[in-house]
Amino acid sequence: MITVNNVSMKYDLGIEDYSFKEAFINLLSFKKRKKKEYFMALDNVTFHIKKGEVIGLIGANGAGKSTLLKIVSGVMKPTSGSIQVNGVVSPMIELGAGFDLELTARENIYLNGAVMGYSKKFLEEKFDEIVEFSELVDFLDVPVKNFSSGMIAKLAFSIATIVNPEILIVDEILSVGDIKFQEKSKNKMMELIKGGTTVLYVSHSLESIKEICSKVIWLDHGKIVEIGNANKVCDKYFKRQMS
Amino acid sequence: MLGRILANFKRYSFLMSQMVSRDFKVKYKRSVLGVLWSLLYPLLQMSVMALVFSYMFKFRMPGVNYLVYLMTGLVMFNYFSEASNSAMTSLVVNFPLMKKVYIPKYIFPLSKCLFVGINFLLTLIPLLLIILFTGNQETHCILNIYYLFLPFAYLCLFLFTVGLGFILSTISVFLRDIFYIFGIVLTIWQYYTPIFYDISMIAPNLQKLFYFNPLYHYIDFTRQIILYNHIPTLSCWLWCFGSAIVVFLFGCIIFKMKQDKFIYYA
Repeated sequence: MITVNNVSMKYDLGIEDYSFKEAFINLLSFKKRKKKEYFMALDNVTFHIKKGEVIGLIGANGAGKSTLLKIVSGVMKPTSGSIQVNGVVSPMIELGAGFDLELTARENIYLNGAVMGYSKKFLEEKFDEIVEFSELVDFLDVPVKNFSSGMIAKLAFSIATIVNPEILIVDEILSVGDIKFQEKSKNKMMELIKGGTTVLYVSHSLESIKEICSKVIWLDHGKIVEIGNANKVCDKYFKRQMS
Repeated sequence: MLGRILANFKRYSFLMSQMVSRDFKVKYKRSVLGVLWSLLYPLLQMSVMALVFSYMFKFRMPGVNYLVYLMTGLVMFNYFSEASNSAMTSLVVNFPLMKKVYIPKYIFPLSKCLFVGINFLLTLIPLLLIILFTGNQETHCILNIYYLFLPFAYLCLFLFTVGLGFILSTISVFLRDIFYIFGIVLTIWQYYTPIFYDISMIAPNLQKLFYFNPLYHYIDFTRQIILYNHIPTLSCWLWCFGSAIVVFLFGCIIFKMKQDKFIYYA
């Protein structure tokens, strides 16, 4: 389902500083211009995920988890190596991508749905379901800029989770809104994850990883430390982090 | 390869239509006249220019319907400047979105050119009205069968603008200075395009300069039909088609070469 082959991701840290201002300052300050610096976010990563597997990704901040998710979801292309993904990816990384605050909730459902790659027919079919789940029936024709942040999150969550994707990418279980909605959204996420789709799940909560993942990939400074049984790898990781 | 491009196009056509309709809704939010402005604006612009050049500068173009002359140039140049400008900024404006989900990058500049294109089609209504109200046999400015060729010039204008939009938006990712530079270029271009004057008023040795301005050819094409009631010359057809295709393909190639790098600068 997902094959990642020798993938490396190199960020150029010097990308921001080539302005006249910078050049001018450097001229005056006699300092040598900084050499180009690179940062390896991913270093020769190889793994394979089979259909229906629920994979957990663990590692400290900056270990390369998010970069890996971005590469799998197609937002970024790796500097080297290859990646093959069979199936429709639903990246539940950021909610509400592409919301236009000037538009009403109704209009945003279509716009955001289109951004998520849904078809027109699908959206028309699921429209009522989205509205019902979001609990925002009374505010459908209100511009989103007048919504509270909780309401926006509810709407975004309802649109994002309406699909039954073949591959689901989750960056922390999202539970948004008020207490009631948090419970509801958590259940919905669990339902999606356990629904037989292939899942890539990033979390800092080892408990939830152990609970739902069959396998775990442990990343450190862009390299894979270990791949294997969720419980075993999680325990090792925990010990290493705490010592 | 063409099949793949078309399939991709079809897959994202819904997103494209959503983005175009979003632009439309946002553009006319909270304006009383709303979409009527698309019709009024070029009319008012034409009136101002007609006043300035006919009465203040005593501009005379014998045997030519000057109002229609102005209008044909204005609507096309307006399309060009607005579409190329918003296509140029479209990538930078949508950086936050690009970081979150995968969307083919060409959608951003292309949807802007389409959106302004719909607006352009609306401005053809006032143009037609002006022709109907002020046109007469004397100036040959009447509806004729050659009007069927007009879409050709408009299509060339569209392709040229999309191509240039691709190039400008690519540059803008790496070099924001282009926003200012192109602003000045547009001002120069506006005077370099015969909107309110005719190239016959220019010294003969300078007239050759206009052959390098594709906009001149597109506008000239429509004027040969609308104002002079005859079929455009062969060289005009070739200039239009050639410049549009070359710039369009060049833009596509540049964009395709660089599009995977955009995200690092986002």
